[in-house]
Amino acid sequence: MPSIVRVVDLVKNYYMGTQTVYVLKDLNLSFDEGDFVALMGPSGSGKSTLLNVLGCLDRLTSGRYFLGDVDVSEMDDDQLSEVRSTYLGFIFQSYNLLPQYTVVENIELPLLYQGVKLGDETKSRCIALAEMVGLGDRLDHRPLQLSGGQQQRVAIARSLVNDPHLILGDEPTGNLDSRTSLEIMQMLRELNRAGKTIIMVTHETDIAAWARRAVRLRDGRVESDTRNDARTVVEMR
Amino acid sequence: MPSFDDSGLWLIGLVFGLALLFLVVVVLLGAGGLAGLVARLPFANNWAKLQRSVALAVKSLWLHKLRSFLSVLGIIIGTSAVISLMSFGEGSMQDALEDIKRQGATNIIVRSVKPPDESSTASKGFVTSYGLNQGDLERFSTFGDSITRVVPMRVFPTEARYLERLANARVIATVPDYQVVNKLEMARGRFLIPTDDAQIENNCVLGSEVADKLFPFEDPIGQTVNLRTHFFRVVGVVRERMPTGGTGGSQAAEEFNRDIYIPLRTSRGRFGDIIYVRSAGSRSAEKVDISQVTLTVNAEVDSPEGRAKVQALGNEIKRMLEQKHPKKDWAVTVPLDKLEEAERAQRRFTMLMAMIASISLVVGGIGIMNIMLATVTERTREIGIRRALGAKQRDITMQFLVEAVVQTSIGGLCGAALGIASVYAVPAVWDLLRGWGWFASESALPAKLHVGAIFMALSAAIGVGVGFGLYPAWRAAKLDPIEALRHE
Repeated sequence: MPSIVRVVDLVKNYYMGTQTVYVLKDLNLSFDEGDFVALMGPSGSGKSTLLNVLGCLDRLTSGRYFLGDVDVSEMDDDQLSEVRSTYLGFIFQSYNLLPQYTVVENIELPLLYQGVKLGDETKSRCIALAEMVGLGDRLDHRPLQLSGGQQQRVAIARSLVNDPHLILGDEPTGNLDSRTSLEIMQMLRELNRAGKTIIMVTHETDIAAWARRAVRLRDGRVESDTRNDARTVVEMR
Repeated sequence: MPSFDDSGLWLIGLVFGLALLFLVVVVLLGAGGLAGLVARLPFANNWAKLQRSVALAVKSLWLHKLRSFLSVLGIIIGTSAVISLMSFGEGSMQDALEDIKRQGATNIIVRSVKPPDESSTASKGFVTSYGLNQGDLERFSTFGDSITRVVPMRVFPTEARYLERLANARVIATVPDYQVVNKLEMARGRFLIPTDDAQIENNCVLGSEVADKLFPFEDPIGQTVNLRTHFFRVVGVVRERMPTGGTGGSQAAEEFNRDIYIPLRTSRGRFGDIIYVRSAGSRSAEKVDISQVTLTVNAEVDSPEGRAKVQALGNEIKRMLEQKHPKKDWAVTVPLDKLEEAERAQRRFTMLMAMIASISLVVGGIGIMNIMLATVTERTREIGIRRALGAKQRDITMQFLVEAVVQTSIGGLCGAALGIASVYAVPAVWDLLRGWGWFASESALPAKLHVGAIFMALSAAIGVGVGFGLYPAWRAAKLDPIEALRHE
């Protein structure tokens, strides 16, 4: 299976005044296309930083990062934005919807920056996505009129609108109760089954259990890398 | 009045200082890499995006109505100030220029002037002969249709007597057209008519002051006044006339109310060619055929062609006189020069007013910048979300820039409406107040809507939006996406 994400000798340091904080230390990882990965680890382990780097939001200090065949480690800000816009979808812990927009407008947002002409066609696509996540009857609601689970479902629909190669989740169930978390994880699993590659950060083992592969980080290094083979066998079509 | 000049200079200095400061700020901001960002702003190639940005900007302004109103208040005041000040300036300018035009802006005045060398060396008792003559007058008529009127004058001072009363007067021997050219209004009787001249009648028309002095009680019409050795019958009295430097002849203000008008041919017939003037105990004799000729050019004073025609004729007359007169015993005055000078001064004044008003536009711009900076801070998270979803720096720049420009444009439009309204409302209210007896001594406020000022003020408002929106927009674009996402 071809790898969709490959990092080679990834180093990430932060400079705080005169102090240097070594967050990621010579990380070598590769994720396959169609995989469902949980990044785990205690706080300070560097899992969020890794997700930011993978999401092209943060620059790496040294090393290489290949997204598909493309080396994105040397790209400038505009190109990284382009990559985010074209290849990546984001799901955040706090949903990060724009409060002044309706559900449909929120889903539509990534298309605005693709230079796609927004019209009836894109709108019907957004409506279809909203219906897919079960919000067909709340198209004109604003985020504050929705529950947390509903908001996160809008965020999932939004992350899919640009048909991304890779979906990145930053603790997608962190703000939700267990029943809603279940719903969201089911939805993500459905997406994964449909062929989407998902990488998510979580610190809950029962959430990580939904993934096919769990990568544990500690102090900027990979502590363990386990395949949830039982699940994989069961789940694989 | 030096104090006015000083304060004017001081104001100009202040305005230019502020403008310079503004420029420096803009240039400094531009040096921060903004120029590049602006150049790459995808205004032209993405209409949909721009429309969307404008819609978004309007929406977010609507969300904070009071705040938006307060922040664009400066722009509103600035725009309306520019428009109303320039309109009132334009109004008073047109008023003043109308005055000059009434005095005959298409006239050319040719005067006889005593040559300087002649006056110093001429010995007493000799008759000095200089100035315009009958030949010149005939040559003026060769201009044909270009000149509608030729009004020659002979001017000499004399004493006017009636019974035992005496008045120092100035005799102006001229033709009936003088009344038209100088727009004289009659208090009683009539002005000179062509038959007076043709028949060499001893008729005269009195200026208001002379009439008052000689005839304090009785009706002057039909009475006889004595000028030097001759008697003239009074046929009319001119209404009091404001002293003016307009077309009377010299550049200095002239007193017209002591004039006595007699027919030109009568003056030549009765007083001869040589005029004796007694002044300060000495006597001088001058032979001046014609003291002054006022030519009215057939031209429209409001059109540039008309003005060019007047100037061209003025120059031609100068050339002609240079050829015919070996001495410089003449002078040509074109009142149009004065009109243009006045126009230039008024335009400078109007520009000065506009500059003062634009200070408030600049101040308004600072208000916009302030509120935009607050907005950027407030919406840091939104910026982070947009960046994560693929917005480039220039998309963010454009979003906030458009927001600033939309603000100032709306403010500019409101200000324009206010300014236009004030141009019509303020004079009306002023008239109303005067009607009630307040400020009754003040004159009416002339205002004429300055259309150019509307466009100027609007584009300045938009320019202020761009100028002062750039820095906050740039700040927004330069935010680190991760930091911005984490922002609460």
